[in-house]
Amino acid sequence: MAKEFSVYMAGVGGQGLVLLSNVIGAACASAGLRALTGEQHGLSQRSGSINVHMRIGEEIRSPLIPVGGADVLLSLEALEALRYVEYLRPGGVALVNGRVQHPISETTVHMKEKAALYMSAKDVEARLLKVTDKVSLIDALAIARGAGNALTENIVMLGALSTLDDLPVPEKALKDAVAATVPKKAVEVNLKAFDMGKDAARSHLCNLVKCRE
Amino acid sequence: MLCNEAIVRAAIESDVKVVSAYPGSPTTEILDTFSEVAPHFDYRMEISANEKVALETCAGASMAGLRTITSMKSVGLNVASDSFYSLSYTGVKGGMVLAVADDPQAHSSQSEQDGRTFGPSAYVPMLEPSDPQEAMRFVKKAFELSERHGVPVLLRTTTRVNHQSGIVDFGAVERKPFEKVAWEHKAGRFVTVADAARTFKLAMLERTERIREEFEASDMNSVKLGGSDVGIVTSGAGYNYAVDAARILGVGPSVLKLGTTFPLPRRLIADFLRRHKTIIVVEELSPYLELNITAIAKDAAPSVRIIGKSSGHFSEALEYNTNIVVDGMAKALGVKPPVDYAAVMSKAAELKQGLPARPPTFCPGCPHRASLWAVRQALKGVKHVLSTDIGCYSLSFMEPVGYGDSLLSMGASLGIAAGMQYAVNEKVVAMIGDSTFWHAGLPGLVNAIHHGDDFTLILLDNSVTAMTGQQYNPGSDKTAGERAAKPLVLEDVIRAMGIEDVTIVDPYDVKKASATMKEALSRKGPNVIISRRACALYADRQKRRRGETIGSNRVDKEVCKKPYTCVRQFHCPAISIDDNDRKATISKELCDKCDVCSKICPFGSIREREGV
Repeated sequence: MAKEFSVYMAGVGGQGLVLLSNVIGAACASAGLRALTGEQHGLSQRSGSINVHMRIGEEIRSPLIPVGGADVLLSLEALEALRYVEYLRPGGVALVNGRVQHPISETTVHMKEKAALYMSAKDVEARLLKVTDKVSLIDALAIARGAGNALTENIVMLGALSTLDDLPVPEKALKDAVAATVPKKAVEVNLKAFDMGKDAARSHLCNLVKCRE
Repeated sequence: MLCNEAIVRAAIESDVKVVSAYPGSPTTEILDTFSEVAPHFDYRMEISANEKVALETCAGASMAGLRTITSMKSVGLNVASDSFYSLSYTGVKGGMVLAVADDPQAHSSQSEQDGRTFGPSAYVPMLEPSDPQEAMRFVKKAFELSERHGVPVLLRTTTRVNHQSGIVDFGAVERKPFEKVAWEHKAGRFVTVADAARTFKLAMLERTERIREEFEASDMNSVKLGGSDVGIVTSGAGYNYAVDAARILGVGPSVLKLGTTFPLPRRLIADFLRRHKTIIVVEELSPYLELNITAIAKDAAPSVRIIGKSSGHFSEALEYNTNIVVDGMAKALGVKPPVDYAAVMSKAAELKQGLPARPPTFCPGCPHRASLWAVRQALKGVKHVLSTDIGCYSLSFMEPVGYGDSLLSMGASLGIAAGMQYAVNEKVVAMIGDSTFWHAGLPGLVNAIHHGDDFTLILLDNSVTAMTGQQYNPGSDKTAGERAAKPLVLEDVIRAMGIEDVTIVDPYDVKKASATMKEALSRKGPNVIISRRACALYADRQKRRRGETIGSNRVDKEVCKKPYTCVRQFHCPAISIDDNDRKATISKELCDKCDVCSKICPFGSIREREGV
């Protein structure tokens, strides 16, 4: 029996989190892995905090990951990683986009308190390190821009995820699923973003955790 | 495949001929998927004005003999319930399925309403799948059941079933070409009143017992016997959590999974109760199964110990998760969970100190943000009460906007405003979106016009049903499957209803809109202000399709004097404060270039970003 594996995915509405979960789901299906996800649609998309529970394993029934049960916490935005920190199992991998989108509630407070600073990706990293020693920040926005489209941040992060040795989904299945899911004219830029995400992971994440050859 | 997509696939495999629905989370993707694939099939489909019309459209076609399906959210069935109850009396001829989804946790709803009461109170059979594959199987069975007994069938789900993706095995799509059927004229066949109703009622009771008998042996229910004297009774999403929780705890209880939750298979349940000493009922929201099981146990197994909500192990509030069920089950069985979830949560809470909340808010470019700014400026210094409605503009309640006095249900803004203007001295303002107005606002306006109620209605016309994903509505020139439709014009309808005082503004021209609103708001009601500008998400998608790029603005730091008007009054997620110079800054990625912030900036420091 294949190992069970859970990825808790977080982000801000509009970042392409559901597309990311569709890609991984399709990759699992083509690789013969049983995957199920619990997604959020509707009201919560409106620039609010969103999450997707992604679970791989033959025996799993619940689409929701129990707290302390995620092997990977993958966040497309730094603050959102901290928001769902309870889901990460001790010693699990936190794979975090270093981009911070300041919530309007924080900006409103900020306006009034001159000495205040926004919570930063580094602040988030320091706090995540209290749960696990495997925290990797990736500058996905810069990488996505480098790949040719700022909207491919989600695929940059997927590329980084694909390097993990424990991930039961083969890299090829993921890349094929990306190609099959994104619009035709965007396939090339997305695959480039995927590869650049992989490279970024090799320079940091792979020093913390076992990666694929 | 998403469960909602599996429901569509199953209906198409079942040769459904008429589809009608109004969008509502968590069922919206059923409508969206039917709409998307409509050009490939010959079923007839409408995006209805509301759930009641949707249900009636399906009922009419099913009475004639065609297979039909409608979908709606929990509270949608409240709207449709008048016809729903009567339809159970008359029954149908062609198979009719109602996919109705509750929303524990009220993720995108005004309440956690438990729709399972509809099944027993209307004597309508109710099926509850747990995952996409089961949904596929149950939908097919629902059509057969519906036709076999001449009764509409409820497919009841919850958010975590609808929005669950999993692998689904398909059946074959073997569809007969669409053909109209001849109406079978049988006196009183679909008429229920007085004596006919009394006759129907007796037949309905008999029908329910026949279906109960069928459910006793149905493969939609399953019994898995474990080695202990503990048994779990569960259904729907609860089943998923219960099975995982038992595995995590390393206990092997028996499991009775109920797929047919009305009428309940009483003998099957009684037999299961008799085999066990302890029964744990795992179900979200109200203790529907628990109360029924307790009643069955009274005769069948009076000494059985029933663990559930009454015993204090589980809550009637909020959505469950595996860890919640683990904790309840562990307490009942006197075992220790492998993870101390409370400790994990409290450590997380500690780490999250100071983490800013991120509730959903108006998107960058959202015309509602501009409309609300215009309204609030127009009413500055005017004591007023705002009765608002269901839609994206409901988000005005959330901080930091924090604006609005009441919000109940679709279309309620008008009736509430009518009551308010009798009761208070303040200016009364009602606010409603175009889709909600067509859905349930019309009777409220009719009432206000007839009685001369003194309030101003602000109609936010963003041209689509935005919140659920920008579906077409009666104001659109298209309906499901991009089929052409006649667009109704709000101002024409309202003027024809008898209101001459109708003012139309463009919220993007925000200062002019505000000045015009101010005048209209000073006049006696009933009068109407239409604030018209397409939903930004919808408009952007159209722009991208046309190959247009969406620009962005920037703050000219030389000019910005830090009045923070854009932060204090506008609350756009694209705007934040630069930690280096404390001046406003605009995210290139998030800005939609609606230009409204540049119009409200007192120093005119917001300019177009060049060289995008």
